[in-house]
Amino acid sequence: MLKMLILIKREIYDHLHYFIAALMLSALFIMVSISIAYNFYSEMVPMLIVVFFSVMSLLTIGFTSLGISQMYTDKNRRISAFLSTLPVTRDQILTARIIAGILAILTFYVPLIITTFVLYNLLAPPIPIYEDVLFDISAFFILISIACYCIGLLCGWTPGRFFPSLSGLALACVLVQLVIVKGPGLSISAILILFIIASLIRVRQKFTSTAL
Amino acid sequence: MDESVIKIENLVKYFDGRCVLDGINLKVSQGCVYGLLGRNGAGKTTIIRILLGLDFPTRGQTFLLGDDSSSLPAEIRGRIGCVAEGHNLIQNYKVDKIIKLCKDISLKWDNDFFEHLIETFHLPLDRKVKDLSMGMRAQLNLSLAMATEPELLILDDPTLGLDTVSRRQFLELAAEIIQKQGRTILFCSHILSDVERIAERIGIMAAGKLVVDCPLEELKKRVIKLRIIFPEKTPESLYITEIINQQTDGREMVLTVANWNNQKQTILETFKPSSCTEIPMSLEDIFIECTNPVRKPVFAGVEEIQNA
Repeated sequence: MLKMLILIKREIYDHLHYFIAALMLSALFIMVSISIAYNFYSEMVPMLIVVFFSVMSLLTIGFTSLGISQMYTDKNRRISAFLSTLPVTRDQILTARIIAGILAILTFYVPLIITTFVLYNLLAPPIPIYEDVLFDISAFFILISIACYCIGLLCGWTPGRFFPSLSGLALACVLVQLVIVKGPGLSISAILILFIIASLIRVRQKFTSTAL
Repeated sequence: MDESVIKIENLVKYFDGRCVLDGINLKVSQGCVYGLLGRNGAGKTTIIRILLGLDFPTRGQTFLLGDDSSSLPAEIRGRIGCVAEGHNLIQNYKVDKIIKLCKDISLKWDNDFFEHLIETFHLPLDRKVKDLSMGMRAQLNLSLAMATEPELLILDDPTLGLDTVSRRQFLELAAEIIQKQGRTILFCSHILSDVERIAERIGIMAAGKLVVDCPLEELKKRVIKLRIIFPEKTPESLYITEIINQQTDGREMVLTVANWNNQKQTILETFKPSSCTEIPMSLEDIFIECTNPVRKPVFAGVEEIQNA
């Protein structure tokens, strides 16, 4: 357990810029959310749609590149080759990496979700269905970010940097568009969870079966 | 019960259709200092990478401390120290950070010994690994491997890039380690004098095969080189088995043979040579004879030197 914490800490330290960026973006969105919540008027809707798609693009690129960066840095600097000479297994290295990645995603979302729920409780009428919608949207965003991150992990563990990154981003964009068209809900969450599980199985298979 | 610390069974490895390891079988028992020799590209590093689970065999199996090396548990990894070729340390880490990482993850850590090593090697703790010289990286890698008090130490060309003084320091340290009982060392190098100094058993690799596997002293006794001068032309064949190398020049023949004995002596005497003198051979000479790719009969003879 302690070893896992050390490995997670190492991953976080190596990708600290992603955590800082996630925190800063989260803070920015919290400010925007508060501002919109207190100054909302109907003319803002088109602007909000633009903001929504910009945010989605940013998250897609950000979390896919986090996955790519983690795997590419490892392969390029032969980090796992070194760690494998210490008393850790490849599974532990990969698990620590994925946990660190998910922590980065949560670093962005958790403050934002908390703020949204607080604002909802302060400003919105107490209708339970709104709460369910908020919960669905939060789960949807977190799952889609994890899915993009998994695509990054898959594409990062290949030789070369430019084309795998490009193909990873393209795939993530296609995925995001598909789920946006479908909209948040239980069925899309189930599909995303299946996608994430399948991607992680493939990442593990690739990571544990290739030469370091 | 098989108590081999390292066990390799029929190991075959292909890279892009090219056979790099061709049916290697090897057992290294506890406490043995095994020197694995071979020319560049002979497959030494590939064996070590497979043993450490960094690469996978095409066929065959390898075992370290009784466990299959393709899926070594963390506890077994903790009992193995490794100095890899090229010193695969995390390049953008500072020395003190990499030390802390190893210290935190390792199952055992002899801090006094480690500090003694750092002091001996004068390693700067505040510099990044990528800014260290090759020699310093080797010293850091060795210090990290040694501090974990490993039962098995795998050294893949550890003296590569070291200057004469550092190499001497390293070898003295290796000798110190060997004196600690029960330690098994697999020492892989193409610097023969280094291996000769510390190894008690030798393996020589050539063209993906382990052509020699026997104790060092035994190897020196069993491979001999003879300068034979015949009264007239040299015979086409001496009908002696296990000839490693044979060179003919007029009436003179230089013959390298494995497992020289009375029977072979008698066969040679039937050709009535004018003179027959033994040429002293160093490990380097034996190595060159065994690994020269031009001389075809090498392997036929030397395979018999295995498992003496």
